[in-house]
Amino acid sequence: MSAREVFLVGLSHKTAPIEVRERVALSGDALKSALGELKAMNGVREALVVSTCNRVEVYVQALDDGPAKHFFTSRAPKAGDHLYVKGGVEAVRHLFRVSSSLDSMVLGEQQILGQVKEAYGLASAAEAAGSYFSRLCNRAFATAKRVRTETDIGRGITSMSQVAVELVEKIFGDLKGRGILLAGAGKMGTLSAKALASLGADRILVTNRSAERGQGLAAQVNGHFRDWDELPRLLTEADVVIVSTGAPTYVVTRDMLAKAMKARRHRSICIIDLAVPRNVDPACAGLSDVFAYDVDDMQKVVDSTHEARKGEALRAEAIIEAEVMAFAREREARAALPVLVQLRRRAEAIARAEAERTLATVGAKLDDRGRRSVEAMAQAIVNKLLHGPTVRLKESASGGDGALAGAVAELFGIEANVEPIPRAPRAAPREAAEANGAVPASRAAASSDPT
Amino acid sequence: MSIVILRIAAALYAGATAAYVLYFARPKHARLATSGAVLLALGFAVHGVAIGVGCAEYGGMEFFTLRGGVVLGIFLAAGAFLAVQRITNLPSLGAFILPFILVALLPALFGTPAHPELAPETVRRPTVTLHIMAATLGDALFMLAFLAAVAYLLQEREVKGKKFGALFPRLPSLEVLDRLVQRLVRAGFVVYSVALVAGTIMATSVWKSAWSWDPRQVLSMLVWLLYGLMVQLRHNGWHGRRFALLNLPGIVLVIGSMLALQVFPGTTRHTGDYGASAPSEVRQ
Repeated sequence: MSAREVFLVGLSHKTAPIEVRERVALSGDALKSALGELKAMNGVREALVVSTCNRVEVYVQALDDGPAKHFFTSRAPKAGDHLYVKGGVEAVRHLFRVSSSLDSMVLGEQQILGQVKEAYGLASAAEAAGSYFSRLCNRAFATAKRVRTETDIGRGITSMSQVAVELVEKIFGDLKGRGILLAGAGKMGTLSAKALASLGADRILVTNRSAERGQGLAAQVNGHFRDWDELPRLLTEADVVIVSTGAPTYVVTRDMLAKAMKARRHRSICIIDLAVPRNVDPACAGLSDVFAYDVDDMQKVVDSTHEARKGEALRAEAIIEAEVMAFAREREARAALPVLVQLRRRAEAIARAEAERTLATVGAKLDDRGRRSVEAMAQAIVNKLLHGPTVRLKESASGGDGALAGAVAELFGIEANVEPIPRAPRAAPREAAEANGAVPASRAAASSDPT
Repeated sequence: MSIVILRIAAALYAGATAAYVLYFARPKHARLATSGAVLLALGFAVHGVAIGVGCAEYGGMEFFTLRGGVVLGIFLAAGAFLAVQRITNLPSLGAFILPFILVALLPALFGTPAHPELAPETVRRPTVTLHIMAATLGDALFMLAFLAAVAYLLQEREVKGKKFGALFPRLPSLEVLDRLVQRLVRAGFVVYSVALVAGTIMATSVWKSAWSWDPRQVLSMLVWLLYGLMVQLRHNGWHGRRFALLNLPGIVLVIGSMLALQVFPGTTRHTGDYGASAPSEVRQ
């Protein structure tokens, strides 16, 4: 019997170098159409793609991990060597860890949660994410919030922008009398420019292909907008350059920078490339008096500076473990619901039929109010009778025991469609479904989510 | 007597070195840096007393030997570092500079100081005092500039080479180190110029010629020219790695010019021939 469950296939800064990540990273419309493709693949019911500069992860609710793997191998054949694959509870745990920033380059950073939320928003707008991912993601967001409020993981260097500040500080000390250039409207770049402004930069210049967006950005960071065509000249004016455009190619090339360095009379320049795919030619770092960094270099800075939050990470892991288990139990409780729904539906049908029969014989002697009383009485009997069993069924299912639901189905002769659930150590959902006894494989696969 | 006091100073320097090195290893403990500075200041004061007592013992003649020059140079370097600390507050540099101070002072702690027999009137000339003090202070500043340049090059390797190891968070920023090297070079050059002017005045009056191809004169002139060139190049925009690297040949010349006192005892007249009295043997 095959059933759908959640699978994750992905690669991140921990498993793949930036050269591979930039080949599979997607955003905007490209991501939307990729979600559409995923959804259309055989056996995939729901899909979610988290694509940030540090990771690309594909979550699918499907029969196997094939479609998710195909997402990567079709884009970059080399990606196959860097993938990690998780299924069921493992995948759920991974998403919770990612959202809570435990898997981040900068442990405890705050942007990843927003990025996962954005990914979910995009997936549900593209109708790739349905009720299952809705519950999964909401639980992940709640977990992240718990981790943030109950641990100190967010203290200290907790964002890429702070890493940028750290780097720039080690080169220039402060930025008095110097200029920052923000090229491109990437979110990370904007945050970094804002953070760097705290080092006392004299001026912030902003350039962007789209002038309108650039001007808005300039107003946001308190800077001056310059035309995108001026970029080579701007490189001679600014001492710190943050590049984060969505361009798939290098916008700062070695030649361009070499010329700028000559014009600068070799005053030092720091270039931080926050874009994936990279926007600054890696060869630029070889020029003298040029300090150029990409996202992976930032990781090395983080490694050298953070130790303190590791203890907090352990506490966060405990919270995540509890949430993963709670999520799995909740899923199991939901698995008992089809039995309940069927049971209630059948009882209500009987009550309605009996009430109608009664009214057919004695209804003529009753006024409207009397009729309604008879109907209400029948409904009340159903409610009272089913209250106890409902509570006990929910309890036993949330405790990981699917046997009672099976017994009820058996006893009342109900055919319940039981949604497959993530494999938790304490429960074997397929066994539970089989114990329910009534679900042929094809129907289980085709059944809609119970809520 | 002076040597005993000098040993006490060396012990204090050793304590300061330990404190600064520990601070470097554990930068969270700011108290270590403070202790280092206090011990260094104490060592500096005791060192000053040792030099004063030494002057009383040998009539100031020990400064005409390499050992005397080193003892004075270390004293001035320690003082200069204390001043740098007050201005810039870069305690992590202590871990670079203090071990050097300690090691350089070690040979001077053993044996009896040697000194040439000189006529007191030569030694007491103000131009001689100025010449010796300025030249030694210049050397001390060049030495500090060299150590700061080493720190710069190490930090540059971390930052530009993207190594981000243990030094990265501990050492000051490249800009700060670069500026420190530049300031030390410039200050050293100014002081060294004073020494050369005073030396020229002395040579003209005692040796009857400003320039006599004395090995010490030649090497000092090279030092002065090289550091002068560095000041000029800085003015032309040289900075960072290239500027720091120039300190390497610079310090080789500085050390060479100091060793000239020892290596060429027969050829340089700096060890004792000051006209007023007959050149004499170095007396143990």
